[in-house]
Amino acid sequence: MSIQNLNTFDPFADAIKSSEDDVQDGLVHVRIQQRNGRKTLTTVQGLSSEYDLKKIVRACKKEFACNGTVVEHPEYGEVLQLQGDQRENICQWLTKSGLVKPEQLKVHGF
Amino acid sequence: MDEDMIFDPSLKKKKKKKTGFDMDAALAGEQGESTSVEAPAETGDVDLPEDDNLDLDNFGKKKKKKKKPFFNLEELENALPETPPAEEPEPQEDEVIDDLDLDIDFSKTKKKKKKKNVDEIVPDDDGRGEDQENVEDVHGDWIGSDRDYTYDELLERVFDIMREKNPSMVSGKKQKFVMRPPQVVRIGTKKTSFANFTEICKTLHRQPKHLLDFLLAELGTSGSVDGNSQLIIKGRFQQKQIENVLRRYIKEYVTCHTCRSPDTILQKDTRLFFLQCETCGSRCSVASIKSGFQAVTGKRAAIRAKTA
Repeated sequence: MSIQNLNTFDPFADAIKSSEDDVQDGLVHVRIQQRNGRKTLTTVQGLSSEYDLKKIVRACKKEFACNGTVVEHPEYGEVLQLQGDQRENICQWLTKSGLVKPEQLKVHGF
Repeated sequence: MDEDMIFDPSLKKKKKKKTGFDMDAALAGEQGESTSVEAPAETGDVDLPEDDNLDLDNFGKKKKKKKKPFFNLEELENALPETPPAEEPEPQEDEVIDDLDLDIDFSKTKKKKKKKNVDEIVPDDDGRGEDQENVEDVHGDWIGSDRDYTYDELLERVFDIMREKNPSMVSGKKQKFVMRPPQVVRIGTKKTSFANFTEICKTLHRQPKHLLDFLLAELGTSGSVDGNSQLIIKGRFQQKQIENVLRRYIKEYVTCHTCRSPDTILQKDTRLFFLQCETCGSRCSVASIKSGFQAVTGKRAAIRAKTA
């Protein structure tokens, strides 16, 4: 039998965890980058590392009918790359699937 | 309003809002049931605080339009008397947070609404009708009675005091924040020129470097200011797109987050940028500009050759 009060509970566990997996206050940045010609690239930075990004990218590729990869970045962690302007698609998809709250999403670009 | 002539930062937002709140649809839905009207009207109101509505007069007009469904609602209430007044204060609450400058228009519409309320509700429900009537005659009967004050009364009182203390608000600061549109021209096929870049920086009272940093970070490209003080950006951009980014810049770094006045100063203090408002004196920190992750888009072989 254990005494409840003596259970070790780290009150800062949440704080440490959240500061680790997100560089900047839990925001998910969706950016667009121009390539040559009319081509564009959408990057999604700041998704929690608890998720399997490979599975996410696999689902996105299927959903949006585009190619995509996961890129490892020393500072920003794993970043999703999708071909084409998928900003609206990815925002809808992330909120619909419940991975990201709408207020956490930050869309950049024009 | 001519979009080519005047670039109004709040213009595009408004268009969006119109589509968001469809008056006809709302009215049509209303005949079916009263609650369905409430939903679109509310979402419209909730949207407001985000909007940087520098265009105050038009905004007020829109408000009035929006109120219309409520009037009809009240007529409906006669048929079903149980539902209504609990819902009424909600939109008002939102507006109070929303913007102090709005209260002129807002209070007018509110009074109109009140009168309607009294006319229509009194025959139905006596207790509530009395309450509403007390709101009508001003703070005269506050003295001597120790009853609880309703939310509406307190609200009315606050606005009355505000109008008394600041008569300038009643006379209406009609200054609209209008600036010239960015002149965006393509140079060749791969570069874009932002011709009146420095001029816009001056009208916004911001360092060109700060705006430059923001633009380049948001657009995810590189660029520089050339000899004719125009900004050359790599990539193809249209005026519309640049306007969008500028609007976001103004919302974040120019207009005061508290009172939305564009009369602000951006100061750097211990590595953080602070926005100091000249009108209301508020001071708040703003997000630093970070370009974030940049994917490799060029030829990898060329990059490798350069670094190795």
